[in-house]
Amino acid sequence: MILRRLLSLYGLLFFVFVYAPILLVVIYSFNANTLNMMIWDGFTLDWYRQLFGMETSLTQSATFVDSTDQLWGAVRTSLIVALSTSVFSTVCGTALALAVARYRFRLARFYRTLMMLPMIMPDIVLGIALLIFFITIGMNLSMMTIIIGQSTFLISYVFVTVSARLAEVDTSVEEASADLGATPAQTFRKVTLPGIAPGILGGWLLAFIISMDDLVITYFIAGTGNTTLPIHIWGLLRRGIKPEINAIATLMLLFTLVIAAAGLYFRSRRQK
Amino acid sequence: MTPFDTHPAGLLPAGSQDRTPMPSPLEIIDARKSFRTPEGGTMTALDGISLKLASAEFVTLLGPSGCGKTTLLRTISGFETLDAGEVLIDGSAVTQMPAHRRPVNTVFQRYALFGHMSVARNVGYALEIAGRDKREIRTRVGEMLELVGLAGMEKRSIQQLSGGQQQRVALARALAAKPKLLLLDEPLSALDKNLRQKMQQELKALQRELGIGFIFVTHDQEEALTMSDRIAVLAHGQIQQIGAPTELYRTPANLFTADFLGESNLLPVKVAGGRASLRDGQSFATEHRAGEATLLLRPEALSITPPEGHALSFTGTIRETYYTGTDHQIALETPAHGTLHALLRSGAALPGLGAEMTLHAPAQGLHLIDEAAP
Repeated sequence: MILRRLLSLYGLLFFVFVYAPILLVVIYSFNANTLNMMIWDGFTLDWYRQLFGMETSLTQSATFVDSTDQLWGAVRTSLIVALSTSVFSTVCGTALALAVARYRFRLARFYRTLMMLPMIMPDIVLGIALLIFFITIGMNLSMMTIIIGQSTFLISYVFVTVSARLAEVDTSVEEASADLGATPAQTFRKVTLPGIAPGILGGWLLAFIISMDDLVITYFIAGTGNTTLPIHIWGLLRRGIKPEINAIATLMLLFTLVIAAAGLYFRSRRQK
Repeated sequence: MTPFDTHPAGLLPAGSQDRTPMPSPLEIIDARKSFRTPEGGTMTALDGISLKLASAEFVTLLGPSGCGKTTLLRTISGFETLDAGEVLIDGSAVTQMPAHRRPVNTVFQRYALFGHMSVARNVGYALEIAGRDKREIRTRVGEMLELVGLAGMEKRSIQQLSGGQQQRVALARALAAKPKLLLLDEPLSALDKNLRQKMQQELKALQRELGIGFIFVTHDQEEALTMSDRIAVLAHGQIQQIGAPTELYRTPANLFTADFLGESNLLPVKVAGGRASLRDGQSFATEHRAGEATLLLRPEALSITPPEGHALSFTGTIRETYYTGTDHQIALETPAHGTLHALLRSGAALPGLGAEMTLHAPAQGLHLIDEAAP
């Protein structure tokens, strides 16, 4: 009995440990105290209003910047990068997964291992390597270098997600399609693609979220004019923690949850 | 009239018309195929197989797993290419033709239905690919579903169907494009026994009704005997024997066929001077050539009451008896021939286990296999 209670307590503590900080960020984002965000001083939406450039009762000293243009610029950069990177990675990662799963060629297993490598590579090593690479080939750091750099490891994530799905799809279905007269292209469009669509969608969403979130690698390969949201937040933090950071974090959390929920929803619909 | 009447001669491709008015649905000439094993060796799957369908026949490829029957089927459907040899379908060579252009369709072992499509789209898939118009497809799908006993199930999803119904959808899908030849890869192995027997009869009836060739792959000898016009027994990548079920059962050409098809007692004999003698000295007249051979005695050939005329007799001890309702299965241990298996009509008065008993077989019309007993 005691052991069971201890286990329950341990479980509870575990979730508190994991989620309490996140919950605090959300709570503090509604805190009206402008001087010390650790002390609750009543409910306000001012931090959100401020982010969206609306009238607030906040004084200049309470916030980071005069205007939030920089913030929204960073959001825009992040969205463009995440969208391009995730689409590019999804196409390449899916193609690679199909090749490794469906064709027999030498070194297929070696390829599979090679594709896993970028995921376990330390971010900082990858960041430095990419930076050196871009400098060596004389490519100026820009949004393009961020997109190329992020794709190098996001392709791996898509590859793994789609490969897992492909392993579940029976190859005899593709043979049945060919047997009934479908060309390889028709078989791919009508049978293979619908079969692995949940994996592709999952891989794409994963790549999108990781891209939106990546700081370390992007930090190395982003030029001065291309600040992504994580880099922008990192910059803000260096000037001290101000309450509006909580509102930004909460919005990012919400955004990620919505995307993940959408992914799960589409998956469950497919399986019906 | 059914929608499956074979193509009138005028619609056949001009090339095939020149040779014979009615080309063979399938001809395989000296097919050879070997695979590389993961260990680095080679495995011969097809070792010179030739096969020709006389007309719209129901031919079964029967053999143990690894005998090459599935490989042979896949070279007909186009999923494997031959190392050497030729495949002709309906008179024209298709050896190098990719699977999607061959005029054959397959019922796959685990059905391989498209899970994300309705029953109707599954059945109409080949016609949809061929670009037929929607009305024609709908009519055809309706006919096909009626043919396999699933009328009105167009809108169902595949997941809603039982195993037997999925089997029927797979069959309807394979027949919808009016193939010249239907290939069936152990299609009944996933069904339970009652359903399997029902489907066996239906498939046979369907083949007769459609008038097209069926190539049926199975490792189940009972299934092969029940359904086939001819059976090709395969082992080690070669056709051991091909013929009608009764021919294979009564007069197997070698020990493998005798052993694989049905229960058998195989007794060594020596043939000399027109007589074959058993180990225990009994003998009977034969036209078989002199030398060592093997006598095939099917369990049902043995009886308790001696037949008219000359007979072989075997006395031994009853070691096992099984009662199946219609028959008694008996294992009789004899001093000279080891254990003999007999199938006796039920109703016969049987001595108990361990008792001594004598069984008889007529000494005429016995089949000798031209191979020394193992």
